Amino acid sequence: MTAKVSLALAAIAGVLVAAVALGEMVVTRQGRPDRVTVLYWEKWTGSEGEEMRKVVDAFNRSQDRIFVHYLSISGVDSKTMLATAGGNPPDVAGLWGNNVTKFADANALTDLSQMATDAGLTSDYYIKGYWDMLVYRGGLWALPSTPATVAMHVNPDLVPAKYNTKETFPQTFEDLDKMVDEVTQQKDGKLLVAGFLPGEPGWWHWAWGYWFGGSVVDGDKITIDTPENLRAFQWIESYGKRFGNTAVQSFQSGFGNFSSPQDAFMTGKVASEEHGVYKANYIRIYNPKMHWFAVPFPHPADRKDLAGRSILDQDVLMIPRGAKHPKEAFEFIRFVQRQDVMEGLCSAHGKNSPLQKVSEAFFKNHPNKEIRLFDSLARNPQSFHVPKIGVYAQISDELTNVFQEISAGQKSAKQALKDAQTRLDTQWEVYKSQVLTK
Amino acid sequence: MKLSKPKVALTHVVLVVFSVCFFMPLLWMLSTAVKPIEETLKTPPIWIPSRLQWDNFPQAIAYHKEELGYLPFLVYARNTIIVTLLAVAGAVLSNAIVAYSFARINWKGKDFFFGVTLATMMIPFPVLMVPTFSLFRYLGWVGTFRPLWVPAFFASAFSIFLLRQFYRTIPMELSEAAKIDGCSEFRIFTDVIIPLSRPALTVVALFTFMGSWNDFLGPLIYLVDQNTFTLSLGLSAYQTQHGGTPWNLLMAASCLVILPVIGVFFVAQKAFIQGIATSGLK
Amino acid sequence: MNSKRDTRIGIVFALPWILGFTIFMLYPVISSFYYSFTNFSVLRSPKWIGGSNYNELMHDEVFIKTLKNTLYYAIGAVPLTTVVAIGLAMLLNTKVKGMALYRTMFFLPTLVPAVALGTLFSWVFNGDYGLLNQILTKLHLPAPNWMGDPSWAKWTLVLISIWGCGQAMIIYLAGLQDVPISLYEAAELDGARIVAKTKNVTLPMLSPVIVFNVIMSIIGAMQIFALPYVMFPGGAPARSTYFFSAYLFDNAFQYQRMGYASAMGWVMFMITLVLTLIALKISERHVHYEGG
Repeated sequence: MTAKVSLALAAIAGVLVAAVALGEMVVTRQGRPDRVTVLYWEKWTGSEGEEMRKVVDAFNRSQDRIFVHYLSISGVDSKTMLATAGGNPPDVAGLWGNNVTKFADANALTDLSQMATDAGLTSDYYIKGYWDMLVYRGGLWALPSTPATVAMHVNPDLVPAKYNTKETFPQTFEDLDKMVDEVTQQKDGKLLVAGFLPGEPGWWHWAWGYWFGGSVVDGDKITIDTPENLRAFQWIESYGKRFGNTAVQSFQSGFGNFSSPQDAFMTGKVASEEHGVYKANYIRIYNPKMHWFAVPFPHPADRKDLAGRSILDQDVLMIPRGAKHPKEAFEFIRFVQRQDVMEGLCSAHGKNSPLQKVSEAFFKNHPNKEIRLFDSLARNPQSFHVPKIGVYAQISDELTNVFQEISAGQKSAKQALKDAQTRLDTQWEVYKSQVLTK
Repeated sequence: MKLSKPKVALTHVVLVVFSVCFFMPLLWMLSTAVKPIEETLKTPPIWIPSRLQWDNFPQAIAYHKEELGYLPFLVYARNTIIVTLLAVAGAVLSNAIVAYSFARINWKGKDFFFGVTLATMMIPFPVLMVPTFSLFRYLGWVGTFRPLWVPAFFASAFSIFLLRQFYRTIPMELSEAAKIDGCSEFRIFTDVIIPLSRPALTVVALFTFMGSWNDFLGPLIYLVDQNTFTLSLGLSAYQTQHGGTPWNLLMAASCLVILPVIGVFFVAQKAFIQGIATSGLK
Repeated sequence: MNSKRDTRIGIVFALPWILGFTIFMLYPVISSFYYSFTNFSVLRSPKWIGGSNYNELMHDEVFIKTLKNTLYYAIGAVPLTTVVAIGLAMLLNTKVKGMALYRTMFFLPTLVPAVALGTLFSWVFNGDYGLLNQILTKLHLPAPNWMGDPSWAKWTLVLISIWGCGQAMIIYLAGLQDVPISLYEAAELDGARIVAKTKNVTLPMLSPVIVFNVIMSIIGAMQIFALPYVMFPGGAPARSTYFFSAYLFDNAFQYQRMGYASAMGWVMFMITLVLTLIALKISERHVHYEGG
């Protein structure tokens, strides 16, 4: 081995060692020696992430014992679950409200009941529907970060004059169907404009039955194959029947991403759309000049008691079991629950607030012009959230599949629901025997 | 095979048609990469943008940009380089040594073990996925780069196979002559075999490079913090951004991601083909 | 020749692989086999439940669907890519001008990351404004809704697999270059034209390489993951593009059923093995080895 070769090898070895060192540095938890470091994993990136980062910075500045380290993580729910299993979880995890039940069942969370009560964060501090999502089997498992509600967004330029105000827009599904028939235009079988499409945005397929007065879980049973759910999915089926499945699918395939200028609602391809309180954010960015207003999502004509409701959605903060600094983690979570902090965060995200008390300033300064509607929807006692059951993920996937099967004309609503019921019953039995029994 | 003139022409035509087909998606990628955002998703699609927005490239790399939501492209690139560098080094080193054992040293159990090695190529990754993940979790390596490059230092069946075939084409007399000169096995390895096996080693390096650079599943499972993402995973972060998918920037970023690979391939092409041919993969 | 010394040195040189094999192959294979008989939900230690997982798999509608989807894909993609790869390799082997350029062009798509490729092809195959349908409509051919129609979605992936044949093509090219010209000349003397030459000289000489590539292709097709993950999240529409590895991945990481996922992995392994053995058996009748 010549000297030149040896030198070359030494250089290569040096580069490799440097690479290893750099790699290690990149992934180490950055801690501070003078404070307790609380590791916070959150799903948000982009502007939403930035807003949360500001809250974290504010907390870090407000005291000198604790330093919260914010990390943006993709797939945060499964990664948190795995980290908890590995005994090395973050101290605070920013997950989705529908994760609570599954994580609680798996014994993956720290019960916050005591700490919350001591801090005065009890059920009357929050809007009932949101609080309800956080408690399960006698424990309090999370506290909110930002909530959301859902409403019907309408483009008045695309609907006939008799429907184009908040008061006159259809309030029942039957009236909505009439509007859709009048507004929808087809040429040579191709759809040009649709009055409404259940497939847009396609995020809440688990909820269709609920809108019609049903549910997917009743006590200890999964209730998919029920009259209300059937009615809901047959209503969905009717869209394919009226306009042709292929036409609808083809039309939808041309829609752009929901957060792009080519969004169906913003490009005038659909006159009305079911969407969340944050829709206004996208409108503001991609089509600020468009006319729009929001009304509660319709209800069946024979169920006036279901008027003015909404889906309740929520981002939450949890403390995984085995977190190194649960007390300090709770200090941070408590900070987020302060009315001014919470309102600031929710307003910056364009969402409503989960707190019972809300300030006038919140409404006045909120970027969403319809914020009062979204707030009132959250307070309606009939508003509903995801079912609190550990197999929610499977239920959601299954109902999405049902929706797609029906939209493709593959199965009738009745058949699709029956099949989903059978599958989910099995999954639930397995879950009960494998997870819920000790 | 010498062909007559019309046959040559026909061959050219077919090749050109196919090349265009193969290249078209990439052409589309390049075209989108220089478009302004409004023209990216137009129906019907536009091939030649109204103006060439070369600006998209530096924008795609930019960090701390409002619309992009903190997609630190350069950070992803750095991470990918670290991981790929280590993986390639590990692969070349370990496979060279191990294949040598199977090809040039006569030891008991060699054939049996080689057969086992071949069999492992058939094991689908999903079978190994869960326990390997558990293993790394137990070691505390999840969230670090280690699961992505450490295994490369332990050789892999495909490369062992490739190199072994190649080593066997080197005449045993060379080794024997060196032995008579009093060289240790290791000296023979470094002084005789390695210099002769450059094409094959290049192949191993190239395959490992490509595999590591574009690896998606590995980083998906093992990397946690966004700042540790590699390029292939980072590109998907462009997609799931809440603030909208900037398609032109995504394509610009993708162009940048494949550039190094194309470069390496183009340069190493000849050695590559030669390496595979002489390794007698038959 | 000191055989004992040779054995020692042999093992020393092979040590990285022996260790690697034990840690990264043997151990995972054995544990995954063990896990497949347990209920392993990550946060608890695995609980033995016997063959329950396998039993459940046999009745799992979604699993059977993913099995069918994966097999359809394999049956479509493997022959298609093999034919295209061999065809292109044969064309390139005629030593036309610009061979290096063509070679790079065909190989390029394999270098593109899955996300970019997926996004790209989502547009090309878009039912409304996609490139493919534009061409088809101009030619007055039916233009189905590739991305949105469950009966067609799978086939987009099969067609896309053609773009991935670059790697196999290069290997075939190398193999072709090893075919002795003398054989072609002999065939020509017998009056053979292209088809006959291909059938009687090229393919038989290439057969060991074909076997290798086909087997690798089968194994790869059975494990397809990245492209569907990007183009069709959740196996949409209606789970028509839901494949083995995706369902396994979801069970392991979304539903936290690692025991179930392991059982699935083993079933997949068995099926892949069977297919490979079938391929080998068929090849035994047709393959010609040039001196081993």
